[in-house]
Amino acid sequence: MYKNLVRKSLFAATSVAAGLLATALVAQENPIDNISPVTDEMLLNPPDGDWLMWRRTYDGWGYSPLDQINKSNVGDLKLAWAWAMTPGRTQQTPLVHDGVMFVQNADHVIQALNAATGDLIWEYEYELPDGVRARGERNKAIYEDKLIVATRDAHLIAIDTKTGQLIWDKQVANHNFGYSFSAGPLVANGVVVQGMTGCGRGQPGGCFITGHDADTGAEIWRVNTIARGDSPEGNSWNGIPLESRHGASVWLAASYDPEQNLIFAGVGQPYPWISEMNGLLPVSADPNVTNDALYTNSTLAIDVTTGELKWYFQHLPSDSLDLDYAFERILIDLPVNGQERKTVVTAGKIGIIEAIDRVTGEWLWGVETVPQNVVLSIDPETGKKEINPEVIPRIGETTFNCPADPGGKSWQATAYSPRTGALYLPLVEFCSNTTPNPLDPGEVYTGGGRATFARVPVPDSDGNVGRVDAVKLSDQSTMWSYRQRPPVTSSTLPTAGGVVFVGSLDRKFLAFDDETGEILWSSGKLSNSLESFPVSYMVDGKQYVAITANFASGLGRLRQITPEVKLPANDPITVYVFALPD
Amino acid sequence: MPAFLELPRLAGSTPALALFVMVSVSPPVTVPAQEPEFYDRPYAENQWTYGRRMDESQLRYCVDRRDPDWEVASAIADAIALGLLLEPQRYVVESNIIFDDITKVYAVMLEHCDIHMGFKLIPQGYPDWITVTRPYYDAEYVFVAADLGIQALADLAPSRPIGATMGTSAHLRLVSYLSALPADDRWVTYPMGTSDLALQSLLEGKVDVALVWAPNFWIKQREDPVYDGLNVIDPAPLPPIVLGVGAILLSNETFLRAAIDEAIAALRADGTIADILDEYEFPARAAP
Repeated sequence: MYKNLVRKSLFAATSVAAGLLATALVAQENPIDNISPVTDEMLLNPPDGDWLMWRRTYDGWGYSPLDQINKSNVGDLKLAWAWAMTPGRTQQTPLVHDGVMFVQNADHVIQALNAATGDLIWEYEYELPDGVRARGERNKAIYEDKLIVATRDAHLIAIDTKTGQLIWDKQVANHNFGYSFSAGPLVANGVVVQGMTGCGRGQPGGCFITGHDADTGAEIWRVNTIARGDSPEGNSWNGIPLESRHGASVWLAASYDPEQNLIFAGVGQPYPWISEMNGLLPVSADPNVTNDALYTNSTLAIDVTTGELKWYFQHLPSDSLDLDYAFERILIDLPVNGQERKTVVTAGKIGIIEAIDRVTGEWLWGVETVPQNVVLSIDPETGKKEINPEVIPRIGETTFNCPADPGGKSWQATAYSPRTGALYLPLVEFCSNTTPNPLDPGEVYTGGGRATFARVPVPDSDGNVGRVDAVKLSDQSTMWSYRQRPPVTSSTLPTAGGVVFVGSLDRKFLAFDDETGEILWSSGKLSNSLESFPVSYMVDGKQYVAITANFASGLGRLRQITPEVKLPANDPITVYVFALPD
Repeated sequence: MPAFLELPRLAGSTPALALFVMVSVSPPVTVPAQEPEFYDRPYAENQWTYGRRMDESQLRYCVDRRDPDWEVASAIADAIALGLLLEPQRYVVESNIIFDDITKVYAVMLEHCDIHMGFKLIPQGYPDWITVTRPYYDAEYVFVAADLGIQALADLAPSRPIGATMGTSAHLRLVSYLSALPADDRWVTYPMGTSDLALQSLLEGKVDVALVWAPNFWIKQREDPVYDGLNVIDPAPLPPIVLGVGAILLSNETFLRAAIDEAIAALRADGTIADILDEYEFPARAAP
């Protein structure tokens, strides 16, 4: 049963008690009264002061055009307000529209806050079924009068942005089979696009991306992320049948190119990770099959209206190390060999930045960042990677790979600044001694880790694990590289003010000079690790920067190699909002 | 020869890799614990509200109705409690979710039980917040066939498919064996998500042999006659794949674990557990 437990307008409630005069006075201060529908035009060109989707714009840049906070004054940033969220892990991206911030707690209480003051406006509780672990979602979407939210039990729901009332609720898959959402949707050309995760042993066949009617939630189309049928793609699973194919999760929301009406989405690896377990090894003797395991670790270009798969590019075939290419796709027009190309740029967990022509799917270039020993070489024409055979896990053996499974670059998104032409990457440097483990300690309670990943520092490391790189995309040169001991744990946020914000495992929120990498500001120690997506917005002419503090596992697992970084035991979750003093 | 982009930092040269391997075998001094992903710090809602339990005259145990042996395990847990002069208090975990991450058992144990029955003894298979008792019985993974002409695995022709319950200890041993054979002599292994799916594929003729946990096959045959035509075959040329099954406790329960281990040893020695297995005609052994 889903219910609106506490739908409040605090200001309105106050006004009833205080009389009509107070009603008029307070109502002016409540931004919910003036919240406007989010149109297609607004999503194509978001107001500078809003943050309407996961990476703010369809091109996935994660860039704020606000410049009130800039290099010269960022050092004066002060806490404007904070909001404690309910316990449980979340990696959420707050959305902001017309002065209202929308947040999703791990227990699926969704709240609207006054983005200038932090006051609660309304809240809606989506009741998760028994047995479904309460965890947050990485993003939400706003479209027209709806806040569209994905849930951990594989539903999509739409909530009225003004009232917090449920508009529709659509079950996309049965959570009993392991299906779950860890990120939310993108709304493009009126279609709600959502990627599925958790497609493991409970139900074979792999994950999928679905397109939904924004008015009803009804499914319009579905693209299976594991290739099927008698085709080169369908025959890329080492001869095992569909009943034995698992994985290909879609962990994060897509980007969108309105000119082509295409979305670009990343797909994760096969399950379980170890190739000898998932059937991709030993290699089949059948000459008509490969073990590339399409469309795992691929970029998919999909027509958002029809769901037609236009092209794909597989970055890492037959991944056995959980080094997937499942993260953000950034759309940038770049010069390549003297010619302007429309590209889609992404970086997988190996930390190699790659550019693909987003019209043709042609691979254009790649450049390394963190230390790695997985890819020996890349064909400059095709992008095909030569994989180091020594790093492929084998049953009964321990192998050594860099980076370790959480990735040199993980779900924490990179961001692109048109000011500098640079991509800002949150990175970590570490390795793993990897030993395959059986999954069956219990019949239903499984190991799930598929292997023991004993994470260790990079050989000859100077002890620094966390890193932020600024890479100029026109020539792939490194503008600057900042390194520190604690792992960097949040996405990056460059702004028109010339600063780049990023969070760290040691509870600090940092601001860099976007051109030099100099640290211009650091918050005090906050309540927890900063594993989330920072955003910036403006209300009544004042710029704010927000980030959610939480230890959400992920790169937080790197606490193993930075044991001196201590975090609170009860994992407090807090939204922090910073601004310049009045 | 394609002109490959050489990636110089770590990957390029054999000496560099050799150095990596050499370095990696030395335990890193800064790492206090080597934890796989599933050693993830467990979390239970309101976990700080659970204190020390006051009623110590009871043995609170959990069984999970999704486990094929949950009734057998209940009988064994009752016997363990009586052996310790404790009052058994059973909690049956009810869920329709096919698989749960092992960290979810943390919340179940905090709220409901001191021991949770039904966990295989797998070396290095558990996080450090869990400890496992000695096994109260030993059971096998079994190869099952529908064709009466297949009496042993050795009877299966090369290239014929085996549906193996994916990622299990038995699956790993099968793959290791196959990997050592010439490619033309191998059977094909189709990983199946669960024992149920492996048996279903066998019934549908999609595989010739299924590799499943014997208690799962036992419960399917008890519940549905469609499985009556399936037969356990000789695993040769592989040896039998046997795993002990015990209970888990939170790792700080050292005193209780020692007491339960003593009780299990006594109940195996005096034939109590064997009698329970016989009563249910359960495919396991509990020799002293």
